[in-house]
Amino acid sequence: MNSGFATFHPFVNLVYFIAVLLFGMWFMHPDFQAIALVSAIVYAIVLRGRAAVKFQLIYMLPLLLVMALINPAFNHAGVTILFYLKNGNPITLESIQYGLASACMFVTVIIWFSCYNAVMTSDKFIYLFGKIIPALSLIFSMVLRFVPRYQNQLKRISFAQRSIGQDMSQGNLLYRAKNGLTILSIMTTWALENAIETADSMKSRGYGLPGRTSYSLYRFDNRDKGCLIIMFILVAVVLSGQVKGENTMRFFPSIKVAEVTPFSILVYIAYSGLCMLPVIHYILEGIKWRSITSRM
Amino acid sequence: MQEHQIDNRNGWRNKRTLISAILILLVIPATIMFGVFALDDRKYYFISLLIILYTMLPFTLVFERRKPQARELIVIAVLTAIAVAGRAAFFMIPQFKPVVAIVIIAGVSFGPEAGFLVGATTGFVSNFFFGQGPWTPWQMFCFGIIGFLAGILFRRGWLKTSKLALCTFGGLATFFIYGGIINIGSLLMFTPVLSRDALIATYASGFWFDMVHAIATVIFLYFLSRPMIEKLDRIKAKYGLIESK
Repeated sequence: MNSGFATFHPFVNLVYFIAVLLFGMWFMHPDFQAIALVSAIVYAIVLRGRAAVKFQLIYMLPLLLVMALINPAFNHAGVTILFYLKNGNPITLESIQYGLASACMFVTVIIWFSCYNAVMTSDKFIYLFGKIIPALSLIFSMVLRFVPRYQNQLKRISFAQRSIGQDMSQGNLLYRAKNGLTILSIMTTWALENAIETADSMKSRGYGLPGRTSYSLYRFDNRDKGCLIIMFILVAVVLSGQVKGENTMRFFPSIKVAEVTPFSILVYIAYSGLCMLPVIHYILEGIKWRSITSRM
Repeated sequence: MQEHQIDNRNGWRNKRTLISAILILLVIPATIMFGVFALDDRKYYFISLLIILYTMLPFTLVFERRKPQARELIVIAVLTAIAVAGRAAFFMIPQFKPVVAIVIIAGVSFGPEAGFLVGATTGFVSNFFFGQGPWTPWQMFCFGIIGFLAGILFRRGWLKTSKLALCTFGGLATFFIYGGIINIGSLLMFTPVLSRDALIATYASGFWFDMVHAIATVIFLYFLSRPMIEKLDRIKAKYGLIESK
């Protein structure tokens, strides 16, 4: 997905996802959960369209229901007893609601991650962490390159072996399996030899010498700065709400939700703004695009 | 020269032990206290995630600080890529994956640090293909720690490279270490309240998955361990890759 929020600097993307994921795991208050869940769903649909709707209906909805049911079976705290199970354990209203809340939280996190996977592509991650953990980032990027390369090489080896009648398409099952292992063995030897060659080539080109820079596609411009400042303000408002106890909720022994006050409404707005930031950006871009298209 | 290098490596290992000790003795209890008092003992997943990340930190720091050579990097990358490709190749059979087998072979051939790095990196990078999620750090930690243990046990001479020894270790490690930890992880993901019943239920429902995973590890080790270790030893001998003794 090469548009909208994903075109911001990777650092902006990362800060956004860290913020929504942490807050999503943190706040148990139903209003906050609803905001996060709705935002995550909307953003996933903006990013992935119909595939996201399918994913949410086929996997997330049943997951939500099953998880909401599991909790009361194991958790018997709470004062409002609804009925007793056969083994004598009570089912309480609080534990059902708690199960629902934690299921909702889990599903929200999964959907946020599906957005994360669409936006934070591996190149962005490697760019961001290349400075902090250069060696490991290099390993990550090499592995990502090696996997398709090995699949390709495996095909070539397999074709070569076929010409001498020793690949996976000839003979009985045992023979095929044996040939398969031979192909894998050839593959491994090739991979290791090839790797040493790559390493020597890297060394002769000066890998690890001081003063070398790495190429990057990204630049941190005013738009990124603006977005980051807006995010920090929203996060600060949400956190101040947390400190004041607006975002919390008590489940046991009895349910107690923080009351709605003018300040808590401000916190709600800030949290919605934060979660919906990419969607808002998407809509604004759409309006802008429409207003600058020629009407001639 | 050789002597000096070995000294240096010992130094790094001591540093890792020191960092680990600080983390385990100070930072982890502090985090748990923070969870119990500041977060009202409710955010188990969050706290456990932090602990998992702390345990991986010393490896990362030490590895980065000692500025590894290109050859070292690339051997780790190759083994990781093989493990990732192996996980991808068996995507249609749930839990039947060669990852643990390859991680153990890496640990035995290239030492505990390489074992840990191959394991953790495989967990991380393969999820670029399968999707990152709250499970990623747990998988990274489980794969990593098995590779680390394989390396340590082999160094100490407690783990031999015979098929029987490797398969036994692989099966037990997959079932008890990987299964044991990953089930706690998934329980914490699902229900924020930890209870003994729920834990037992999670282990019971995960039993067959862990069993299949353990059997897969045994089978892959049975077929792969000897040829793989031979190949890796040959590469080490041929190109003089220094073994971190």
